[in-house]
Amino acid sequence: MQVTIITFGQIAELFCGKITLENVHDTDSLQQRLVEQYPALVNIKYAIAVDKKLVSGNVAISETSSIALLPPFSGG
Amino acid sequence: MTDKKHKNIFVQGAVSSAFIADSIQKHSTKTTIGAHSIFLGQVRSDIINNRKVVAIDYTTYEELALEKMHEIREGIFAKYPLTCMHIYHSLGIVVAGEMCLFVFTSAVHRKEAIDACEEVVELIKKELPIWGKEIFEDDTHQWKENKL
Repeated sequence: MQVTIITFGQIAELFCGKITLENVHDTDSLQQRLVEQYPALVNIKYAIAVDKKLVSGNVAISETSSIALLPPFSGG
Repeated sequence: MTDKKHKNIFVQGAVSSAFIADSIQKHSTKTTIGAHSIFLGQVRSDIINNRKVVAIDYTTYEELALEKMHEIREGIFAKYPLTCMHIYHSLGIVVAGEMCLFVFTSAVHRKEAIDACEEVVELIKKELPIWGKEIFEDDTHQWKENKL
């Protein structure tokens, strides 16, 4: 299954916006694919949002899920 | 997901002092209010490795930010007896010395207004998906990270 991931902040800069990944079915496999294809990401802290909610632990992902990688916040 | 629209908090560019003054003025008709508390975040010209910050360029994940802000707002109104609360955050370029965050809480008495204002500012910094890119004089940049 192919998923598209939107990125923000320094991660968006690193990847020039959207990333597409194959063979992803949950957030664990997403993180594995990310590390394989984008080793630079290892040095950046980030949270994952699935369908506009921050997730912790392993969460299932479907083709229609909206997935986002969020580096540390710096609002205000 | 619901499609319900949450109140927008974002403004393009700096929050102007005229806008802030106008917001204060608008409350003169609400005569049950006895106290306002206002927090203003200003872009600071830090010197980092001998480079001076001249501006911050703000971006957000707007849908998530507004959803989160809605939750924060509900939580604050449940906890404190506020008359009203207004929040504005900049997007895009805000130059050093300009305002990027305006939090305005009003209540019958000062304690609720002050405590709610402080709590909202902390939650905004901690929980809203907003990113600030600090731009230096020489056009290089670095990504800011909030100290919590």
